[in-house]
This record gives sequence, C-alpha cells and structure tokens, in this order.
Amino acid sequence: MSGVILDKVVKRYGAVEVVHAIDLTVEPQEFVVLVGPSGCGKSTTLRMIAGLEEISDGTVEIDGRVVNRVAPKDRDVAMVFQNYALYPHLNVADNIAFGLRIRRTPKAEVLASIEEVAGILGLTEYLDRRPADLSGGQRQRVAMGRAIVRHPKVFLFDEPLSNLDAKLRTQMRAEIKRLHKRLGVTSVYVTHDQVEAMTLADRIVVMQDGHIEQIGTPMDLFLNPVNTFVAGFIGSPPMNQIEAIVEGGADAPRATFAGQSIALPKLDELSSRVGEKVTIGIRPEHAKIEPAGADAISVELDLVETLGSEALLHTTLAGNPFIIKAETGGDVEHLNQVTQFWAGPETIKVFDGKTGRAFGHPATSYQGGS
Amino acid sequence: MPDETRFQRVLFVLRRDWQLYLMLAPTVIWLLLFLYKPMYGLQIAFKDYSIFRGIAASPWVGLEHFHTLFGSDQFVRAVKNTVIISAFSLLFGFPVPILLALMFNEILHKTFKKTAQTIVYLPHFISSVIIAGIVITAFSPSVGIINYLISWLGFEPIYFLTKPEWFRPIFIGTGIWQEAGFSSIVYLAAIAGVSPTLYESAVVDGASRWQMMWKITLPSIMTTIIIMLIIRIGNLLEVSFEMIILLYQPATFETADVVNTWIYRQGLQGGQYDLAAAAGLFNAVVAFVLVIAANSLSKRYSRTSLW
Repeated sequence: MSGVILDKVVKRYGAVEVVHAIDLTVEPQEFVVLVGPSGCGKSTTLRMIAGLEEISDGTVEIDGRVVNRVAPKDRDVAMVFQNYALYPHLNVADNIAFGLRIRRTPKAEVLASIEEVAGILGLTEYLDRRPADLSGGQRQRVAMGRAIVRHPKVFLFDEPLSNLDAKLRTQMRAEIKRLHKRLGVTSVYVTHDQVEAMTLADRIVVMQDGHIEQIGTPMDLFLNPVNTFVAGFIGSPPMNQIEAIVEGGADAPRATFAGQSIALPKLDELSSRVGEKVTIGIRPEHAKIEPAGADAISVELDLVETLGSEALLHTTLAGNPFIIKAETGGDVEHLNQVTQFWAGPETIKVFDGKTGRAFGHPATSYQGGS
Repeated sequence: MPDETRFQRVLFVLRRDWQLYLMLAPTVIWLLLFLYKPMYGLQIAFKDYSIFRGIAASPWVGLEHFHTLFGSDQFVRAVKNTVIISAFSLLFGFPVPILLALMFNEILHKTFKKTAQTIVYLPHFISSVIIAGIVITAFSPSVGIINYLISWLGFEPIYFLTKPEWFRPIFIGTGIWQEAGFSSIVYLAAIAGVSPTLYESAVVDGASRWQMMWKITLPSIMTTIIIMLIIRIGNLLEVSFEMIILLYQPATFETADVVNTWIYRQGLQGGQYDLAAAAGLFNAVVAFVLVIAANSLSKRYSRTSLW
C-alpha cells in the first residue's frame, strides 16, 4: 500500500506564495483530511499531489517515488471533484469506464469493472442513465465510481460533498467512510467543513494562510488545539475564547476577567505569566450549568436554541458571546433560567495572549508548517 | 381566484410585468411591420399583378405563375444550382468554423491565439463588394496571383470567373474564407462554457489533448452544433445573393444563377413581380419544411431541438 509524503512543498503564483513549505506524511491506507477556511491552500495542496498544479519547491512522493515531474496519469491517483466532473453526454456506465477506455483496457475487463463498481456503489439500475437524470447523491456516487474503478494507489477528494444538501451529505459521508474501510486505499480529502473532517478522518490537517497549523487525530485536535485558530475552527460550536489576566501562583493559577475569576489547570508555563494577558478556551460541552458552586461564572442569557436532547445557550460574558451546550432532559424551561456556569480546570485551555499558542500542549502535535 | 376570467388573468400579468412587455414591444413591432405586414403582398403570387391596379384590384390567376415557374428551364436550373451550391456550402463550410474553434482552443500562446483569431475574423468585417473585388483580382487572368502562380508553374492562365465549372468552388471557398472565422465565435463561446474540471478529471484519467478534444470538447458543444445546423438548414436556400450578383456573369449563369438572382432579374429588372413573388414563396415554403424536418430529426436522434 502507498503513502504520500510532502516535503517542504511550496506553491507560488508569480511572486505570491500561497503554500509555504509544508511537510506532511500520509501513511498507507490512512484517511487524511485537509481542513481550513477558504484560501488556506488546502485545494492547491491536493492539486499538487494530483499533478494538476506545478510544485514550485519541495517534493511530493507517492508510493516511495518523487512525482514532481510525473504526469497526473502516471501518478496512479484518482480524484473526485466538488462538481462531480461527470461527462454530460455519457451515461453512468460510460462515465465509470472513461478512465479504463482511455487506457485501452480490454473490453471484457471494462465491463466486469463497471459491474463490480456499480454493485459496490448501488448504481446497477442507473447504468444507462445520463448524469442529468440522476440526483446529486447518485452523481456523487458515479464520480466515486470513476475513481475506484481504476484501483488507484491514492484517492484524492476535493470537497466532494459541498454541493449536496445536509441530509445527503451525512448519508454520503457514511458511504465514503464505509468505502474506505472496504477498499483501504490511502485517501487525502479536502473540505472546509470541520464536521466532515471530524467524522471521516484518521488524522486531520488544519491549514491557514498556506501553513499547516496542526496535524492530529480528530479527538487530539478537539481536546488539545495547538492555538486559538485550531480551537476556534474545530468543534461545533467552536471553543469559547475569553481574554483574561493570569493570577495566583503555579499551585493555584486563576484567570480574571470582567471582575470574575476562574481556576486554571496547573501548568508550569503559567507560573512565569502572572499578571500577563492570556486567552482561555472553554468548549461549550465543558461549560456545566450545574453544580455551579463557588467558582461559578455569571453570564447573561440571550437565547436558547433547542436541538432535541441538547440545547445551545447563547449567552454574553464580558461583552463577548459565550455558548454553553446543555442537556435538555426533555424540557427546556429550566434552561431559560440559567445565569451562571462552571468549568473544571482540567477542561480549560490556556493560550498565550499575544501569539495564541497553547500552554502545556502535548509535544505529539504538529507545531505549524514553517 | 376561481371566478377570474381569462381576460382578467392576462390583464393582471400585463400589469405585474409591464416593464418586461415594454422591453419586448420594439421586437414585436419590428416583426409585425417588416415580416408579417409584407406577407399581405404574398397574394400577388396568385394574381395577375399590375402596379397600376394595385394588389387588391389585380385579378386572381390561381397557380398559373407556379406552372410558368416549373415550366421554365431557367427557373429549374436556378433551383438546381441553389440546391447544389447550398449543399456543398453546408458540406464544406459548416465544419470549418467548428474545426477553427477546436484549433483556437488548443492554442496556448495567448499572443499567437489573438493574432490568429483577428486574422480569420477580419474578412467578415469587409464589405462584400471589396471581397468580390479581391476575388476578381486574385483570379484575374492578367494580374491575378493565382494565374501568376499557374504561369510560373508553366501552365496556361485560366479565365476562372468566366468558366462555369470554376464558379461554385470559387464562390463556396470565398464564403468559407469570409465567414468561417466569425462563425467560429459561437463555438468558442460554447467551448468556454465547458467545465474545466472535465478536462482536469480526464487528465488524471490519462487522456491526451487529442482524446480530450474528441471525447470532451466536441460532445460538449454538440448541442450548439446541432442548433447551428438547424438554423443553417433553414437558410439553406438563402445563398449569398449579393456575392453571386457581384461574381457571376452570363457566361457562368449555367452554374451560378440561383433562385434569388433569378427572382432579382425577373422581379426587379424584368418587372414580373407576380412571378418573382411565386418563386420567393416557393423558396420560403421549402425553407420552412427544411427547418421543421431538421428540428424533428434532431429532436428524435439527439434530444436537442430549437423548439
């Protein structure tokens, strides 16, 4: 099985550098998701792996071979595009077979492959239809069929679910996951949707402005974000961030803000930061409305968003929005009375007030790409 | 509203979208004035028309003019020439703009592409009279470059424009030279509408430029090609009248005289308006039938049609 290695890969358009010397190793059979806001360089990185963009500097290795100067067709990768890239004049069978026919695969083999792939993706009854006669989900399945029929070494997905509605997206997400389990092909997946990243990835690569901010498993990124950007990007809703001043010593550090105070985790780095500005991060899931106790933080409730078993309490804290995720227990009336919350020190993340870097971050995570 | 009359519904729609109907009005007025009102005059094809008596007072003669038309060797020859010139123009002229567009699409060097496009678009913007002048000069037996080359190769000069067998190739070639470049714009626009990801996907699948041209570009613009073909078939009998007038002479009537030039000579020069109207009506009916047939065939076999 084949892996993908990016070594100090740079992309420049003229004098403008859009991807800055990124390093990434995708292990064989791994499902890696590149996630980040628009313009962060994730699609450009994927296109460099595919060979659709020239690599300005650094090397891309697929299956142990540097492919900088190898044509896309000879890289043995298959790509699924956001808008499906299906040929409108060809029916489903011919779309799936396109790559094989281009490579002059024997007719019997092509037919057998179409049948096999259509079976896997549940497309057998649609083989004679043209893309225009299919639903969004079916088109996406055909696009995946085109990719898997060639048995490539690496799958590349460029925001494949962006054009689907929410329900279909959830369905297709599960199908992609199932397919990856079944085929075990190394996959690199690009999305701006962090939910997609969290649910699909073995490891997530968070990108911003052409840099890699952090690489880690979904839970690693959720629990130990390396900086305020990752903290704000991963999680739905994202981590609440409050500017505060460090007080107390190494044994009992606290953060104060807007006349309130909260206990912080005992981190060595905090002992030398007393009196300095930090950003404290509290996940909506970690803000508890009971038991409040003495260390409770007062908030002003704006509105309650009911999701069913859970509800999002939109509150204001020190003039900034603060979201609390609470269990409804089948009743939201009691949530309308919420005026304070509590968070255990072990769940609170502390970030440098100037650089946004996390204090006491485990050394296992990637610390940026440059 | 269940008890609303049809008239009330129309009135409601007119009031609601009056700006749209106002914008549509000039086109409708133009159609009525210049295409529908003249149809009143078509009746002279069935009358013994005299400009002194006027249309209404001229007596009806039934299909007499049509009998005269089809009894005339000259008219039958004109129909035959029209069909031959149109068929060859379609055969040779229709694919050229498509090929040009495909070729322009493959040119990667921007300056070269723009220069090449300008050169092939240019003849369209030159008056037919000047184009005819260039053609007459180029094929001239005394000063023409073609005969200069023929003489240089050791052959006798040819009086191209006086020889009936040379008229059709010269006329069709001139038409292609004049219009192929400009006509390619439609296909280039259609090519520009093809999603770039189709090509990227094909590149990853291993398709060459040639395969992409045949398997993606051409099928993707097929709808445009078919619509252009239907329109072209509708205009099949509308052979470039002024170019023929400018290029032909009695010596080449045998192959050059088409229905429109015949109508021009009979109607305007000979004053036989009723006979010319009958010929024009015949031309229009044939064109109408051709468009309907082409559209139906296209609808049946390619799922593409004008209506």
